[in-house]
Amino acid sequence: MNRAAALLIGLLLLAAGFWLWMQGRSYDWSIDPTLPRPSVPLDNPMSEVKIELGRLLFYDTRLSLNNTMSCASCHIQALAFTDGKPRSIGATGEIHPRSSMTLVNAAYASRLTWANPLLDRLEDQALTPMFGEEPVEMGMAGREDAIVELVRLDSRYAELMPEAFPGDLDPYSVLNVIRSIAAFVRTIISYDAPYDHYMQGDENAIDDSAKRGMELFFSERLECFHCHGGFNFTDSTTHANSTVDRIGYHNTGLYNTDGNGAYPMDNTGLYDMTGQRRDMGRFKAPTLRNIGVTGPYMHDGSVASLDAAISHYERGGRLLEAGPYAGDGRRSPFKSEFVRGFELSDDERSDLIAFLESLTDNNVLREPKFSNPFSD
Amino acid sequence: MLRRSVVLLLTIFLANCGEPSTKVAIPFVPVFGTRILDCDNAGSAVQLTDLRLYVSNVQLITRSGELVDVRLDVDGRWQQPDLALLDFEDGSGACANGTSDTSMSLRGFAERADYRGLQFTLGVPFQRNHADPLQAEVPLGDPAMHWHWRGGYKFLRAGIRTDDDGFWIHLGSTGCEGTVRNITACRSPNRVTVRLDEFVPGIDTVAIDLEALLTDTDLVDGVANDCSSGPAEESCEAPFRALGLDLHDGNARDQQLVFRRKVAN
Repeated sequence: MNRAAALLIGLLLLAAGFWLWMQGRSYDWSIDPTLPRPSVPLDNPMSEVKIELGRLLFYDTRLSLNNTMSCASCHIQALAFTDGKPRSIGATGEIHPRSSMTLVNAAYASRLTWANPLLDRLEDQALTPMFGEEPVEMGMAGREDAIVELVRLDSRYAELMPEAFPGDLDPYSVLNVIRSIAAFVRTIISYDAPYDHYMQGDENAIDDSAKRGMELFFSERLECFHCHGGFNFTDSTTHANSTVDRIGYHNTGLYNTDGNGAYPMDNTGLYDMTGQRRDMGRFKAPTLRNIGVTGPYMHDGSVASLDAAISHYERGGRLLEAGPYAGDGRRSPFKSEFVRGFELSDDERSDLIAFLESLTDNNVLREPKFSNPFSD
Repeated sequence: MLRRSVVLLLTIFLANCGEPSTKVAIPFVPVFGTRILDCDNAGSAVQLTDLRLYVSNVQLITRSGELVDVRLDVDGRWQQPDLALLDFEDGSGACANGTSDTSMSLRGFAERADYRGLQFTLGVPFQRNHADPLQAEVPLGDPAMHWHWRGGYKFLRAGIRTDDDGFWIHLGSTGCEGTVRNITACRSPNRVTVRLDEFVPGIDTVAIDLEALLTDTDLVDGVANDCSSGPAEESCEAPFRALGLDLHDGNARDQQLVFRRKVAN
């Protein structure tokens, strides 16, 4: 009798697991068949209603302590979900040490944020902007009850939450808010830039200058592709069929404040997480997709333009002659071996920029599915 | 089957009757030197802006030096049998982002004995520190205490404000390896073992002295510093020293000076 009951429970659990798995598999990503599917956590399967809910929450300023900011405040669609500022500013005016990262293709990031090796799921990452205090971003620490109240009382959320989480006895939770936002962000996929059309066989999708720039980009002379490689132009990429975890953190010689490779103390990159000296100034190579609209550049927004970013790599590290961060990044002992410097003619420089601009996907910048639902 | 049950029952019976247990309450009080600190003491030169901490492995020490576990009451809010959250901020005054409820003592049971000492760990045990915060049971899971980007909990969050200066610290494990929910080890555990000899439960109080924590921290230069346990943070060096921790490897180096026995008046 007991054995039969155990068998039945086992079978039910198996069926439930299979159902959950199918839920995850059955979602139609509507992406190019040559593009791999993003990986999705088993406990947060994709669904249309969850994505719709996540989109509302993503744009809802009531998720900040003073109703002034939503996720979209630092992740603006027209700027490929960055904010155009050197460093982002939180709801209370605190300036973040880092520059807002693009959310485009975040679904394919093997690690999230500029330099946090612990964060491999959007669900975990989303907690920091919402509840983080160092610095305060949306400032909801200690205000979890307000979030639960919002989704319980607002008529739109009250209707969508149970539909998005049909298995939950009480779907109105911070956890499910986070899951919904993560599901929405996972859908922001870009694979429709002129470069992609060119690669798919449309010879006229990019001009000759961009084609020459592409040669330069993928050359051993410039070494760009070593860190910005693969379909997502970053070496920290993962997807549903990945078998290895690809993660890359690199010191590009942006700073050398003490002659021994130090970075400004509020922005030491991987070193802040690991405490290992060799990790000083190591940051993730971000995707270059839509790089033409995501300036200013680098983890702290300290490089104003693509032209200046190329100059930095051309010199093999940045020289700051004066100021609190003075020093020659080229001579940093921690610098990546791929940042060796090169020489570019003016024509080559404009070719390289033309290529980088061919990575801008205007569809993702305008796609109504990703836009602010409150201004519809 | 029957015999095993009898043995089990007997064991439980003996465990409970052999060592008669007694109720234990261990009060804590935040101080700045000799002054008692709270959020709302307007006019005072130093105000508390925050003070919350996790305490685990609570043990009393007998006259003969034996360590005896204190089993904390499970109250559904602050305590698990071997872990407690202490909370001294009530959201008033300078404690801008807090909550009104507080918990200022440890409450539990220990076997009856003549105790002359107290020992506990400032911190959350490794496994629970790195389990999924979104599924955690109280007193864990509190988003104000979970340190999402460092992958564990803030063992201590403390802050003070003076006229034109101040300081806050978030202490927790750093240099963790793995990924959130799958942390395998942390280079700097940053847990502090506190041992207070001569502590008499039922009579004495544990003082948490923020002046001792901030010895060597500049509180008059008009720049409010902070410390989030990062290896490059110069402002962490003094408070880590006071906690007896090595900032660079997170292990105990000295006796901590922040917690002390406060004798009843």
